[in-house]
Amino acid sequence: MTHRSPGLLAKRLFLRGALFAGVWVLLVGPDPVAWIVGGPAVIGATVASLWLIKGRPSARPGSPGSSLSLTGLLRFTPYFLWESVRGGLDVAGRVMVPRLRIRPGVHVYRMRLRGRPARVMFIDSVSLIPGTLSADLRGDQVSVHALDTRAPLDAELRRLEERVAGLFGEVLDHQAGVDSPPAAGGAR
Amino acid sequence: MTIAEGLSFGLLGAGAFFFMAGSVGLIRLPDRFTRLHALTKADNVGLGLIVLGLMPLAADVREALKLGLIWILVVIAGATGAHLIAKRALRGDGEDAQ
Repeated sequence: MTHRSPGLLAKRLFLRGALFAGVWVLLVGPDPVAWIVGGPAVIGATVASLWLIKGRPSARPGSPGSSLSLTGLLRFTPYFLWESVRGGLDVAGRVMVPRLRIRPGVHVYRMRLRGRPARVMFIDSVSLIPGTLSADLRGDQVSVHALDTRAPLDAELRRLEERVAGLFGEVLDHQAGVDSPPAAGGAR
Repeated sequence: MTIAEGLSFGLLGAGAFFFMAGSVGLIRLPDRFTRLHALTKADNVGLGLIVLGLMPLAADVREALKLGLIWILVVIAGATGAHLIAKRALRGDGEDAQ
């Protein structure tokens, strides 16, 4: 593995292992016999997650987007829940009427987020806020499928992106992608 | 019926409404993309409300937290799956591409 130092690798192993063990205990309960299945599952999940982030730019400690911000989380959670409800109501209002109220189309959005976890969070969240579905990602270009292309898509997506940036302690470049190369991952 | 039970039934009913809306969308909407819209959003809110409605009825705190965790896992899996299906459909390189 290409992790920076043995100390960092050990810290990551411990943190991720503890997280997956916590998930297991919460799902299955403290029954010791269940660890016959849970032990290998936790170890497998830990190894897989470390293998998947290996060598990724955003995985470097101290770089923007490498850790969650607590205030960012406190601001993101109510926003996300409210947008989820709006998204559900929006879909219901479009399909539960005699004539479908849709004008679908694909809209390209240039993503400013750099960190990989932040990008994944954004891509997944796009599909949960009203009227948008993330359909493709090539470099910085996110293809967003819209239920109604007349909606103010860019404004909604920028707002979501800013909330995700706050969640990962990232500062967005407001000159959105003018000079930056269209490389995937953090070209920093 | 206690207030907690009344609240639970209200939330469960609202959750069921969103699941129904998602299913209606799945049947009525014209293509893969628009159907994915209906499923991801309606399931997210629908399951969220069902989970909230079940929490007051949970036997202990762990069970209530477990319900919350299930919601988070389903939402992550649903949104990620929707993105991957949409990507294959958009690029037209999936196994079932027309």
